[in-house]
Amino acid sequence: MLETSSPALPKLERSQTAESRNLRQGAVIAVLLAVAIGVPQFATNQFYLHLANMILLNAIFAMSLGLIMSVGQISLGHAAFVAAGAYISALAALDFKLPPLLGILLAGLVTGFSAALLGKVLLRLRGVYFVLVTFLAGQVFTLIALNWESVTHGANGIVGIPAISLFGFPLGTRLRFYYFALGLFVLVFAFVWALMRSQYGRAFRSIAENLRLAEASGIDVSRYQVIAFSLGSSIAGATGAVMVHYVRFLSPDSFTFTDSIAYITILVVGGRHALIGCLLGSLFMTPLPEALRGLVGTQHILYGVILLGMLLFLPEGLVSIGRLFSRGSSRGTR
Amino acid sequence: MEYAILLAQAALNGLVIGAMYVLMAVGFTLTFGIMRVVNFAHGEFYMLGAFTAFFTYVYWDIPFVLCLLIAAVTIGVLGALVERALIQPFRGDETSAMIATLAISVIIQNSAIVIWGPTPRQMPDIVQGTLLLGPFSFPWSRLLVIAAAALIFAAFWLFMQATRIGRAMRAVAQDKEAALIQGIRINTIYPLAFGLSVALAALAGALMGPVFSVSPFVGLTPMLKAFVVVILGGLGSIPGAVVGGLLLGLIESFTATMFGSLVADILQLLLVILILLVRPAGLLGQREV
Repeated sequence: MLETSSPALPKLERSQTAESRNLRQGAVIAVLLAVAIGVPQFATNQFYLHLANMILLNAIFAMSLGLIMSVGQISLGHAAFVAAGAYISALAALDFKLPPLLGILLAGLVTGFSAALLGKVLLRLRGVYFVLVTFLAGQVFTLIALNWESVTHGANGIVGIPAISLFGFPLGTRLRFYYFALGLFVLVFAFVWALMRSQYGRAFRSIAENLRLAEASGIDVSRYQVIAFSLGSSIAGATGAVMVHYVRFLSPDSFTFTDSIAYITILVVGGRHALIGCLLGSLFMTPLPEALRGLVGTQHILYGVILLGMLLFLPEGLVSIGRLFSRGSSRGTR
Repeated sequence: MEYAILLAQAALNGLVIGAMYVLMAVGFTLTFGIMRVVNFAHGEFYMLGAFTAFFTYVYWDIPFVLCLLIAAVTIGVLGALVERALIQPFRGDETSAMIATLAISVIIQNSAIVIWGPTPRQMPDIVQGTLLLGPFSFPWSRLLVIAAAALIFAAFWLFMQATRIGRAMRAVAQDKEAALIQGIRINTIYPLAFGLSVALAALAGALMGPVFSVSPFVGLTPMLKAFVVVILGGLGSIPGAVVGGLLLGLIESFTATMFGSLVADILQLLLVILILLVRPAGLLGQREV
């Protein structure tokens, strides 16, 4: 129903360049993967390994938020879903001795399902109203996590959360977890990539570009928005659960509004309109606070300055730097 | 009788925070109505206003009215500059402008932490004593906040109704293109509107300084409440912000007295969601076109 017949000439041209582009993209991805698999084997510094893990996790969080933003809605309460997933899996593991892998699955299902219910209500709001309500909802979640002490242990937090074990093989070390996180990242990346190329992705983009036109063309806007919202929240919840079995500590401060902003920052810095932007943004933004450790206090100011500077001078993010050099062949994933 | 005293106390407290919510929400809704920008740094200007009033009042030892004036003018000018330099480049791109205000908020708050430290400071009361009405007693300092907020709002209302600039602002809010055709300069109206909006926030902060404490983190809650108020009253609607602000202050005060503040906060969110379901554009708002 979305097909528009494009003129013959540009189509021909496109298919030729598309082929060479696909080849090149494939080669680049293969090299990147090889590096990502090989390099940590030689990393002796545990701290760098930890950073690599956080980069991967943050990139997944950013991708899940990007999925919601791809239908033109910005959520400022994304960290609440991450936290919800983390609490579900951590409590299930401690109180009901549920294996972490099942807990992660449960976290993804519960957050996705509750996002679908919540989305049915909240997504009736558009634009600014949705942003404000998700912001408020995120604040209320933090409040509840702080005050519902009998379940969440309140401000003391939860300690002694078990590590993930894959078929009896515990992922207790940073190196082992790295490969798990890498696998998860590739999985989510491939999933979102395929989704955005499917009929769903086309509908998402058309909604983001012009909601009224999409609606008038017979696209069920609220249905697609609910789908994107619950998928994004489900990925966020499951990944939050994965992270809590890696960090093995959880408190209401673990995921707050600051983190919601951090995910948006990663998206903006990397590039909002390209999937690989999430990885680039995370690669840049995650190690930044560590690099600025000496400047206590000022690091957050710099964080804001970078976000503002990117918006002003490089609104398409780090991704567009590459595009400046290879213009013509890549009109990108937009 | 004790119950009546409790209720009267709750009503007074509700009016005090309600007056503050009104000032916050009016400024917030003004920026949105005129510029279509959601200002996530609104609370930080409240915080800056509180600090300005604190330092001028405590260190310079000048009348509090002058402190209010200084806070409004300096923060207002700062706001106009911020708009001109950092928000104007995103004209027509609501999303980027909103993210830019998030960044501005992060920068302002953390600068305040670096400069003034995170510890809250207590500000002395402006006036002492209480007003005794039979069995009821009302502290003058609270009554002062309500009176001052009412005066500030009246001045703002007069400005919007009777001056050329105020009329121009309302014209831009109603229809930007038509206002442009009439020769209204948007490039001067936008910074002015933003400056006026954050000056109101600064005044709110300055007024509440003696009631609460002053720290780099005080801006978050008022901003949160301003969000709730504008959702209740409708984004861009000034009467909606006034009604919503007072209503929210009173509801919050009564529910907090009866059930505790956590329940009050959660009830508020449920109320917001409920109202949005029934009237998506707020109680007094108009439908977005």
